[in-house]
Amino acid sequence: MSEGTSKKTITIAGLSLDSPAMVMVAAHELKAPLALLRQLSLSIEAGGLSASDVERVARQMTLTSERALRLTGDMTRTAQRDSALFKLEPVNPVSLCEEVAKELMPLFAAHNKSIRVRYRRSSPLAVAHRELLRRVLINFSDNALHYSADMKPVELSVQVTGSTVRIGVRDYGPAIAADVWRTLSSRLKQGAMQPLAARPQSSGLGLSIASQFAEMMQGTIGVTRHRDGATFYVEIQQSRQMSLL
Amino acid sequence: MSNLSADVLIIEDDIWLSEQFERTLQRAGCQTVSTSNALRAMELIDQSPPQVIILDMLLGGASGLTLLHELQSYTDTAKIPVILCTNMASSIDKKDVEPYGIRRILDKTTMHPDDIVVAVRGALL
Repeated sequence: MSEGTSKKTITIAGLSLDSPAMVMVAAHELKAPLALLRQLSLSIEAGGLSASDVERVARQMTLTSERALRLTGDMTRTAQRDSALFKLEPVNPVSLCEEVAKELMPLFAAHNKSIRVRYRRSSPLAVAHRELLRRVLINFSDNALHYSADMKPVELSVQVTGSTVRIGVRDYGPAIAADVWRTLSSRLKQGAMQPLAARPQSSGLGLSIASQFAEMMQGTIGVTRHRDGATFYVEIQQSRQMSLL
Repeated sequence: MSNLSADVLIIEDDIWLSEQFERTLQRAGCQTVSTSNALRAMELIDQSPPQVIILDMLLGGASGLTLLHELQSYTDTAKIPVILCTNMASSIDKKDVEPYGIRRILDKTTMHPDDIVVAVRGALL
């Protein structure tokens, strides 16, 4: 990718987009949904499924391909980070959380899980790029889907901390291991994301993409470790405009 | 394919893939139980030892390797044949994992749905 005569290097997870390691990480992330799609498709091809099973498997295929497409879309957006396409504006994070929860509800329901917005009285405005912020929250929610317990809903919440707005996604699942959490917190504070999985089967790509998107909005991401899960959050500047009530 | 009667424990954290394995194995005549968690798997094994275990390597919480170590720690569970079913099959040498009771490695990216039935049948021989 070039800008004028100088070549700029775009990185995700501390890796250059055109590096072999980056290709490996992206390939690893896409392998699971593609393998699942193939298995589901083969099971329909083989026949013998009941009509309700075919309907169920077809729905799973649709939702799985949508997840894979979200990842490829995120990688494309990250590659465009220097193209000034992402103008920041006042965004109502509560309504955005509602939008994300609504969009992901079918995916969560298909996994026998749920997602909801935890409301607070205030409804601040944040300075953000609506689509990038949406992508960060979807990334966090997608991560939470894998680790949340069946009976506990994943919760999106918004709170004002000083001059910033913190939008968090809380899951109730296995705690992040102490050593992983220490390294993760330290790297998030440094703002230098390396490929680091917060939990075992993740390559850390989603988290790194979220970090890049937050940075594009002059924000940061972080994580709070709970005994029964984790809250991944993004912090961005609060807008000085009047909040939409 | 003749009826296959076996108790199979599936340890897979992708619940849709797990469902797919269960559907295929049940149609072949197996009784299946599934979990996405290695610690829960140990509880299930203690309660009712399966005849075959189908194991994914990367799980939420403790990994498949942790479970394999645990299984090898006890003489009764060490004998349960394990079929490793993973996206990382191309990076695993069967000789390296045979000491852990692995009878077969299935590559999720290339396997056919019925391969899991063939693998279970083979593990019971």
